[in-house]
Amino acid sequence: MEVLEEKEEEEQKEEELKALEVSSELHDTDTKLSVEQVCFSSDVPRSSCLNCSPLYYLCFSASFCLSSDFDWNSIDTSQLPDSYKVNSPREKKLLRIAHHYHQQFAHLCPERKPLFLHPVNECGVEKFVSTTVRPTLLPYTELYHWDGCASFVSDYLTMEPLKCPLTPPTSLYSPTTILKYQRGNCFDFSVLLCSMLIGAGYDAYCVNGYATHDICSLDETLEECPLLRKPQEVPKEEVKNSNKYRVKSPPDMRSKFELQQEAKKKAETEATEKKEREEKGMEAEEPKRDHLCGLRVHAWVLVLSGKREVPETFFIDPFTGNSHSTMDEQFLGIESVWNHKNYWVNMQDCRNGCKDLVFDLSDAVHWEIMLSETDKPLQLLLGAAKENELFDRNVDDMEEEEEEEEEEISFAMPPSWVAPIQISPKEFETRCSQGRKVILYKKAKLEKWAPYSNGNGLVKRLTVYADSNYTKAVEVKEWFKNREDMLDMREVNKQTQLITEYFSPGHLFGLKVHTYKSMNPQTERVMEFYTETRVDGLQKLAENENEMKEYFVGRDDFKYFQHTEFRAKRKKVTLVDTRTDVNSRPIVQIKECFHRNLQKPADEDVAERVFLIEEEMIQLTYHLKDKYITASKKDFFKPAESYRKQSEIMTPEMCITYQAGSSEQHTKLVHLYKLLRELTEEEKQLKQQAWRTQAEVLKILEIRENEEADIKLSASIYDTERNEKKRQEYEAMVDKSLQSRKLGKILKREQDLDYLAPFLIQIGSPEKMTKRQALRLRDDCLSDFKNRLVSKANIIQAHFEKEVKELQKKNQHFQENQNQLSEKEEADFLADYSETMFRIHILALRLDREKQTAPQKYLALEEKLRKDPRLAEHLGHA
Amino acid sequence: MSQSDNSFEPNVIDDEMLQKAVEEQWPEDIRKLAKAEGINFKDVMELQLSFRNILQIDNLWQFEYLTKLQLDNNIIEKIEALESLVHLVWLDLSFNNIEVIEGLDTLVKLQDLSLYNNRISKIEHMDTLQELQIFSIGKNNLTALENVVYLRRFKNLHTLNLTGNPLCDEEQYMLFVVAHLPDLVYLDFKLVSDTTREVAISNYHYLTDLLEHEEAQALAQLEEKQAQQKELEYHKTAFVEYLNGSFLFDSLYAEDTEAAKLAYLPGVDDLLQAYRKDFVSVCENLFNYCLKEHEKREAEVSDFYEGLHEVLTANQEEGRRIILDFENQNKTRLDEIHHASSHDTAESMRAEYNEDILQLSETLMTLEMQMVDQLEELIKEFERNIAVIASTFTENVKGMMTQCRDLENRHHEKLLEISISALEKSLKDELNEELPDDVREFLGDKNTIVNMVNKSHKIHLLKISMRECDILLNMYRWEASVKEKALQNEIDRNRNRVKEIFQYIDDLQEQLDNTQIPELTE
Repeated sequence: MEVLEEKEEEEQKEEELKALEVSSELHDTDTKLSVEQVCFSSDVPRSSCLNCSPLYYLCFSASFCLSSDFDWNSIDTSQLPDSYKVNSPREKKLLRIAHHYHQQFAHLCPERKPLFLHPVNECGVEKFVSTTVRPTLLPYTELYHWDGCASFVSDYLTMEPLKCPLTPPTSLYSPTTILKYQRGNCFDFSVLLCSMLIGAGYDAYCVNGYATHDICSLDETLEECPLLRKPQEVPKEEVKNSNKYRVKSPPDMRSKFELQQEAKKKAETEATEKKEREEKGMEAEEPKRDHLCGLRVHAWVLVLSGKREVPETFFIDPFTGNSHSTMDEQFLGIESVWNHKNYWVNMQDCRNGCKDLVFDLSDAVHWEIMLSETDKPLQLLLGAAKENELFDRNVDDMEEEEEEEEEEISFAMPPSWVAPIQISPKEFETRCSQGRKVILYKKAKLEKWAPYSNGNGLVKRLTVYADSNYTKAVEVKEWFKNREDMLDMREVNKQTQLITEYFSPGHLFGLKVHTYKSMNPQTERVMEFYTETRVDGLQKLAENENEMKEYFVGRDDFKYFQHTEFRAKRKKVTLVDTRTDVNSRPIVQIKECFHRNLQKPADEDVAERVFLIEEEMIQLTYHLKDKYITASKKDFFKPAESYRKQSEIMTPEMCITYQAGSSEQHTKLVHLYKLLRELTEEEKQLKQQAWRTQAEVLKILEIRENEEADIKLSASIYDTERNEKKRQEYEAMVDKSLQSRKLGKILKREQDLDYLAPFLIQIGSPEKMTKRQALRLRDDCLSDFKNRLVSKANIIQAHFEKEVKELQKKNQHFQENQNQLSEKEEADFLADYSETMFRIHILALRLDREKQTAPQKYLALEEKLRKDPRLAEHLGHA
Repeated sequence: MSQSDNSFEPNVIDDEMLQKAVEEQWPEDIRKLAKAEGINFKDVMELQLSFRNILQIDNLWQFEYLTKLQLDNNIIEKIEALESLVHLVWLDLSFNNIEVIEGLDTLVKLQDLSLYNNRISKIEHMDTLQELQIFSIGKNNLTALENVVYLRRFKNLHTLNLTGNPLCDEEQYMLFVVAHLPDLVYLDFKLVSDTTREVAISNYHYLTDLLEHEEAQALAQLEEKQAQQKELEYHKTAFVEYLNGSFLFDSLYAEDTEAAKLAYLPGVDDLLQAYRKDFVSVCENLFNYCLKEHEKREAEVSDFYEGLHEVLTANQEEGRRIILDFENQNKTRLDEIHHASSHDTAESMRAEYNEDILQLSETLMTLEMQMVDQLEELIKEFERNIAVIASTFTENVKGMMTQCRDLENRHHEKLLEISISALEKSLKDELNEELPDDVREFLGDKNTIVNMVNKSHKIHLLKISMRECDILLNMYRWEASVKEKALQNEIDRNRNRVKEIFQYIDDLQEQLDNTQIPELTE
């Protein structure tokens, strides 16, 4: 009952929390909560912090307005296994060793802070920190890599600040409890992450040390959002082999003095501009001074190089899940590190942060190890194990036993007291508590959701602001997952009102990117496509009110660009109208550009084709010939209708030609006429094509609108939880296969038994048969079987005889030519001989067995016939 | 209808018939136009001469660019006079009286050949038609299945028609054909099914395997030969053909009868061996050096042309830019002039435009002049470099040839010594060895033997000098030709460019002149 009540309580709290969050969202813009408030929101100390400095109260007192009301004292510990509540003898011994070690340490280094060795766990029992690490490999592929683990931990848990930022906590709960309540401080984060990393095979350690305020309090507001970071431009290495044959550039006739003056002026203005900019920046981004710099306690994870092909030692900050180099200036010092096997105290000077630290843990000068046994050779270890066994047996005696130096050395770290870490698939997928997480970066806000938690598939949203107070949104980026319309990301630029949608491959029309301001047709928009999926090779389509530009890739006709201009709309036409009459929107001109087709000579290969439809003109420009600077051209003036009726269908005036590099100006009129006819035909088709494309754009828009209005999420066919249909199908299939299997069994039994069928058919399969028929049937059946047996024996016999004969023949051949044969041939013969002998042997055996078993089989059949229900009445008593 | 349709008189291909045939294949409108303009047979791509009772193919040489020719349903007896129609892709000679396949060797582009319904009894003389894809030879007198084997050489053949030949009656006809032509898609108007192909291949693999083996061998031999030829060519371009190994040394002794006689003298053999070894090693050195030099020359030339190409491309772009700028600026200018408000304004606009055209011409010519200057320098530098390469090459070759000569001289001295000592010995009758009679003969007299040795020596020296001369002459020719080519290229380029500019400017001006301007209003 108690448990239930508590759970209810918790639920209530959660609801409250949600309500609070909602309200906070609403007020987000005007209250301007400081980040500190958000971060220090957990006000319930796990236990009193005795040795805190007064400063702690100063920095803590301001943070009580948005509390999560989570009381760690109220958590249920009754269900936890015994190992949580008591210490085993070995653990007790370990604690004694730790105590001893700590005393020595305090003696040797009186100026250092007390070590973080054995805090109490959730049941109030002191546990050594190494035993709190529970190496576990979880069954999710993402968690096999460090970055997956780190981002999971940082997403899954809610961050609580340390009660006192200057000392390590007095308690350290088990990772299972932390997972259950999805919240914890940096130590909890680190222990959980470390457990997962060690489980995945990394050489990982929890670190107790000091870091900057930003790191300790998960304050990323001064950092740029990693999603906004521009990829570093790799400077292209220009491989330019300097050729000695180079022309000298023509002499520069400009005055050098003037140039100098100009350059000077330019440099000056630039300098002043730069200065101004810098000043501005300084004002805006003056970092806050931290009085407690270097004293703030933090815990993080250290991954050493070596295992799992980690090339270089690095840190992981468990709050953000980001990796940091060991030279990072935000990490200010290390007190101690531990993993599930041992505990090391850092003996190096941390005045320069972690920059100069040596991370070779076997180096006794730089790292003071607690249990030195792990480095001992195997024999000693075995001995230690035996001794330990002895201790375990004499549990009672052990308490009295005195600590001996030797024992301390040979003592092995007891196994972890923590129950196995488990994460259910649902929890794993949901990630963040309540499925949502907000991170504030410098002038940017990142929100994350669990997949499927939003109806429209939204999983991530990044809002970029113009100011640091998160009021003026400049840009919003939204990422989606599992959408059936394959929408992957949407970018809204608040300033230009431009919306850009990115699609994964698989959209109906091969859509890749769609940039637009409004969904109305014939407004400014750019569509990009996955060219591989399109027959026409369309790569990009840019449209605005009166024109359409199409870019193509990989077409057989070498076209790469088409520009279609439409007649401007005269008057306002309603939307519906434009949709219907799009098929006849008058076209002013169409311009096409082509790549060079190397199979044609350059001055027959058209580079640009312009159809001036309204002016009844067609302009052709050809590709440049090698080394030529003027391109050949042909301008056709289409004959007017009246003109065409006359006898002359083609006159020289109708075509103006310029043929680069050949004085022979006149091509034959016949050719020109043919060309003109072809072009006219092309023009018609191009017009149709342009209208078709317009129609397609409309179609795409319509489909997009429908999709947006009714968003559907797709579920993987393996995801039986979501994919209802698949699950039903699957279940039906299982049922069916079960049934069919049953059915199959019955059928089989019936089918394969009727050995009498052929004989029954012979006599016409009567319902009932007479005695004579039955007898005949029996005789037939028996004689048939006999024949079969005989023929089988005969076949074997024939094989046998054939082999024997062949062997004899070969043998004879061999005898005759023995002295002429080469060694190889002889060897071949012998091998062949032995093989044939083997075959003969087998055949003889089979024949023998056949002869033996044949009478038995015959008798068996007779017996069976007698007992057959259909014949029994006639034969049974015979 | 042509008048020859019903007559049995054989017809001759004459101008009239061709004219008619060409005209007939055009639609009405084009025919008129073409007639008015006059037909040039060179422009005709297709020609149909069916059902015309033609006996002899003739007078088709004018149709240079013909790609499709139909001569079916005539009474042609011999394939001839088609040699000049090298662009033919499609040739139809069906329903004629042809007996032998011949006269097709030059038609290397032929893809589709029909010889249906003729009197051919053997497939032959088609080796050059490597592009052949469709071949129809049905209703002929082919009797032997082996004819099909001939068709294996056409790698692109996918359609074959053999129906109506005597060989089709053979039981194994289908399988035999498919087995030998596994790439065939259609046989006798039918698709060859995969099962047929499998059966055929498995039935005849013993035959086809053998053929394939032979073909592969022939191919390998051919390739080897080509490779050798190629290497020789390469050596020739490096002026060192037959210099590697002992070719030169052997050639020294090839025509030297005296040396052969002298070789019988005791000790000469060893001497020769040593001489040969040294000589060949010098030759090898020379050979390798020449090859290296050849690479160097090639690299130099390609460097030059690369640089030249870069410069020219830049120049082309520059020129193109100028012209495009001009064109974009003056797109509507002619129209404006045409529609100018009055004669005077039009006149002044025209003058202005004319001025601009001249300006453009000026700019382009300046650019070209600059280009010429730059290229001149470039070519001079190239010539200098080539000259340096040539002179070092000449010197080094001369040096190595001197080594050869030294070797020869030394050999000569030693040989002389040996001969004289042998002579002395023979005079003293101390020679124990058996010597041929003619050798004994010249061992009698000192003068004879010295003369002989000297003569041999002279021949050798002459050979060496000739080889040296060869190399040096080749080098000189190469140098001259490379320089010449570079210069000539530049001259041609310059001429073409200037011509182009003039033509373009003329064209612009002509357009301007043709533009009608408003009439002078009173």
